[in-house]
Amino acid sequence: MDQRLRTYPLLGLVFFVLLEVMLAAAILYWPEFEKNVGAIKMLAPLDVLKDMVDTLAQGGVEAYVNGQHFFKGVNTLGLLAAVLFSCGAVAGEVHRGTLEIWLARPFSRRRLLLSRYAAGALALVVPIFATSATIPWLLTYVDQEMALAGVMLCAVHASVFALMLYSFSFLLSSLASNPMPIALGVLMVSIFEFAIYLVKGITHWSLFRLVDFDDYAAIMSTHGLDLPLVGGMLAASALMLLAAERAFARRVP
Amino acid sequence: MTTREPETAAPPGTLRVRGLTRRFGERTALAPLDLDVGPGGITGLLGPNGSGKSTLLRCLVGLVRPDAGEVWVDGVRLAGDGLAVRRRVTYSPGELACYGGLRADAHLAWLLDGRGREALRRARELCEAFELPLAKRMRTFSHGMKRQLFFAAALAPRVRVRLLDEITEGLDPTKRGAVHELLRADAAAGTTILLSSHHLGEVQRVCDRMVFVRDGRLVSDEAAAAVRRHSRELLRVGYEPGADLAPVAAAARRAGALEAREHGGRLTLRLAGDDPRAVLAALCADPALPRPRRVEYGELSLEDLFGELYGEEAC
Repeated sequence: MDQRLRTYPLLGLVFFVLLEVMLAAAILYWPEFEKNVGAIKMLAPLDVLKDMVDTLAQGGVEAYVNGQHFFKGVNTLGLLAAVLFSCGAVAGEVHRGTLEIWLARPFSRRRLLLSRYAAGALALVVPIFATSATIPWLLTYVDQEMALAGVMLCAVHASVFALMLYSFSFLLSSLASNPMPIALGVLMVSIFEFAIYLVKGITHWSLFRLVDFDDYAAIMSTHGLDLPLVGGMLAASALMLLAAERAFARRVP
Repeated sequence: MTTREPETAAPPGTLRVRGLTRRFGERTALAPLDLDVGPGGITGLLGPNGSGKSTLLRCLVGLVRPDAGEVWVDGVRLAGDGLAVRRRVTYSPGELACYGGLRADAHLAWLLDGRGREALRRARELCEAFELPLAKRMRTFSHGMKRQLFFAAALAPRVRVRLLDEITEGLDPTKRGAVHELLRADAAAGTTILLSSHHLGEVQRVCDRMVFVRDGRLVSDEAAAAVRRHSRELLRVGYEPGADLAPVAAAARRAGALEAREHGGRLTLRLAGDDPRAVLAALCADPALPRPRRVEYGELSLEDLFGELYGEEAC
């Protein structure tokens, strides 16, 4: 088995635990939030954040959970996980000098790359679904409920977005020779994108608009995915994977 | 209806290279290069650092895609990413890098992934014979220990062709001797081995044939016996720095040396045959001549060989 593949289950488990802890803490805080929403809004330093609090308050527990888990938890931890799981996929081997022995074994480059991509993608996506599946159960502790089907559709939407970021970072790894600049670069771009999100007038240019509160609210109300959007993100991931494969085919030890 | 193999297709157990070319930017790593190796025997691939030896080996297993040319290894044409070739040969890289966190046994198993259990069993036996601590992590291994582990992984699978790059680099003389013995035994069993090295002495000891590469070109393809003959026709005598070597060269010529070249306080003499006694006697008989400090005969470095064969201060 590919040496790096062995580490993905552990990485996925760590991601799951952290995400679940954040989710549980957020859900258990719901009664306090509901009670103190006015005060929390007052504390928000930006208008856009005040609007966010309003959205959460008006949308009830569904909007709150979606905001806490999918918008905050998955977008922050998920982004970190996407970068961490992908940036060293190829660039790490080049940086370590192990690319030659990795490639010299009797396996095709396509198989080596796709197995690594798939393992990282599973380590990223499975925890998102697994933690999402615990939402109805966690809500029973605060006497609330949400339909599992709607939650899982939201998980699909959030996972596809995370997968797109993962694919982007994976593509960069296939081109580069050092994972650290990739990780830092993607994180910097993400921070910049989130900064744009917070600025009225240009917020619609932010990538995070693809996974906004409104998107999750629409999924919960219509019980369906925004197929053009999800399909577009999946297509972008597939194109980036294809580009990564092309780049990898030309890598020289 | 019968299908006809292309004229250049090579039989099993052989290597055939035709017009192989690879450039890295402006630099030509492999000029159009033709080569036939095997079946069977050990062929030494010699050349100075940067001559294209490693690039050639990497091209042969598909790690580097050639810009032009055709390669057949063990009857299979190199195509795509070279998977068909890699399934039929073993390759030991010249540059050693490993996963330091893995235990040696796990690393060995990883290297032999896809080669079968029998290969892993043999590799473990080889490692035990080398007294490698397989339970320890790779980061605790010395360079020589890593080299032996990689050699064991390359030697264990039952294949007809092995491509080995600098496999004894960093090994002590005892271990190097053991590696040579294993290579000879493997070749005696019919395996075709292409052994890259820049140590002529080593290649002379184990190889049946030598291939010289320089600047990505095949500059000479010599049987080992011919190289040994060359080495016996050369006598090198060292003197104190500043010694006047002109009268020494003249005395050597009078005693039968065909050619005398001076460089760096040393005189390299090409003899008419393989007996240096007459020339040595002449150099020692005349007390007016400078006193020799060092005499070398029968052993050549790669630099010597290139210099002598091609009249260059090569390498």
